[in-house]
Amino acid sequence: MSKAATPSLSKYKTLTRAGIMEALTFRASYVISVLGNLVYLVVIYYLWKAIYASSNVDAVNGMTFSDTMIYLVLAAALGNFLETYLVWDIGYDIQTGRIVLNIIKPMDFQVYTFFNYSGKYLISFFTTFLPTFILVYLLTGGAIVIGINILFFMVGVILGLLINFCIDFFVATICLYTQSTWGINIMKEVIVMFVSGAVVPLAFFPEPLKTIVGYLPFQAIYNTPLQFLVNESLTVNKCIEMLLWQVFWMVLTLAASRLFWKKSLKIITVNGG
Amino acid sequence: MEPCIQLKQISKEFKILNRRQGLKGSIRDLFSRDYNIIKAVNSVSMDIMQGEIVGYLGPNGAGKSTTIKMMTGVLEPTSGEILVNGRVPYKNRTQNAQEIGVVFGQRSQLWWALPVIESFGILKDIYQIGDKNYKDMLDLYESLVDVKSLYKKPVRQLSLGQRTLCDILAAFLHNPSVVFLDEPTIGLDVSMKSKIRELIKSLNREKKTTVILTTHDMGDVDALCKRIVIIDKGAVLYDNDIDSLKRFFGAYRTLKVMFVNEPSGKNQELLEKTAVELPDQLKGRFPEMRYVSVSVNEEWIDILINEDEVPMMKVLNYMQEIRKIINVKIEEISTESIIKKIYEGGIR
Repeated sequence: MSKAATPSLSKYKTLTRAGIMEALTFRASYVISVLGNLVYLVVIYYLWKAIYASSNVDAVNGMTFSDTMIYLVLAAALGNFLETYLVWDIGYDIQTGRIVLNIIKPMDFQVYTFFNYSGKYLISFFTTFLPTFILVYLLTGGAIVIGINILFFMVGVILGLLINFCIDFFVATICLYTQSTWGINIMKEVIVMFVSGAVVPLAFFPEPLKTIVGYLPFQAIYNTPLQFLVNESLTVNKCIEMLLWQVFWMVLTLAASRLFWKKSLKIITVNGG
Repeated sequence: MEPCIQLKQISKEFKILNRRQGLKGSIRDLFSRDYNIIKAVNSVSMDIMQGEIVGYLGPNGAGKSTTIKMMTGVLEPTSGEILVNGRVPYKNRTQNAQEIGVVFGQRSQLWWALPVIESFGILKDIYQIGDKNYKDMLDLYESLVDVKSLYKKPVRQLSLGQRTLCDILAAFLHNPSVVFLDEPTIGLDVSMKSKIRELIKSLNREKKTTVILTTHDMGDVDALCKRIVIIDKGAVLYDNDIDSLKRFFGAYRTLKVMFVNEPSGKNQELLEKTAVELPDQLKGRFPEMRYVSVSVNEEWIDILINEDEVPMMKVLNYMQEIRKIINVKIEEISTESIIKKIYEGGIR
């Protein structure tokens, strides 16, 4: 059997390609998610307008109304891009026993899963985040500075994506024990969206909570890359420091999720059959 | 020759929470430490040679799937030794995966939204199959079964039979040395069943692939397997070829009897009643009879007896005394009845 006839990178590329093709088949779901997002944006627009109207000052916690809106619109777009329903999918596969078919692929399961979603990530970056970003840039008349910060942002988003994936993977592993998905996933989504700064900018958090959140990996998913985009006062040194923190969290969540999965696989009782 | 698969005293235990009844019970379960140890597989040993087709049989919950999951490396045995191609599967899961193929009758490994041929292409890359081997395999497939027309169809548009067919082809694609087929013909119509059996047989013959087949359909067993392993409650009950199993039950015959129809149209009801009463009546009449099994099969009554105990003709004579018979058939014991007897504890 000649196994090495094709270069070994092809196994990753082919999964990305399959993901892109699958994502394109379900193009209607993107229209729906964009529409759903618009409704969400209208709601937060009026909510924050009311908050600023009642405060009588231009800048609350150092952010003007337009700062906050830019932040939240981009956070919503980023959320759309990063949400892959990984926990749902793996939970469903565990319940139906289908996960066995993926475990016995000749690849590391976590790597296999990541590349299974990579095509989806790519497509939703171009269909949800990028158009939103361009629209915000044009509408705000250049309120977002384009410079070296874009580079920081790109690296930050990739690291945030990896951290988010590892946390999702960790939570999905819990489903092996509980055999149920719904509650765990809802809890994860609420916690991650809130403490990552995707729903309310971290600047609005009370001081003790801000400190606690600063020691958690979640803010590295949304807050860090968004700060690169919207916060003009960041120095290059500060940006590098933030990136290094992201790398730290990425390594930590990766190690934790891998270890947890490896330990869990030994004691699982895969359903069905 | 070294066996392709070796199991030595394999056991697998699961910890199962003892669940209580009702809402209050469910809430108490949250804090319960009351576990039961279930022995799903209990000291199973077997050697399987390269190129064999082995029927792995047993009633639901016997431990078949657990054994297969241990052979694929998904589960780690609690105790015992397991070798597939000389490797311990759960320690070398990735290398082991390269040399096994799996079909679960109810679940597909194909990409749901994509055409079949795209799934094959993805598997080609994942399993790192060389271009020539891949092409040769597709050529072989086309010579065995008419699949070309399915290649362009998305998997979700295939019928269950077509999808199973493609799943089997996908499992053989990387030319694995072992393929596990878990109820491959479940839910399929008669012609698709025979098509799939033919396909498995030819692939086994062409590629010398070892096939481990679990099924509840004795037609699969008769068509494909020389050797069967029967397992129940985690332990092996039987491991040998079908022919010697049949020899073991050689004196068993099935007597099929059809009575004259009752005019009132109550025929079926009467048949069921007769079938229930018959074993005791027969045993009363023939004290030397130890085994008898009676079942109704459409308008036939099937009576399975051991001719070493009571000659067939005596039973037939007795039947004639009860009601008027219009048709009689005598059959050798079918694999199905043998398996049924073993499940019911007849071999011990």
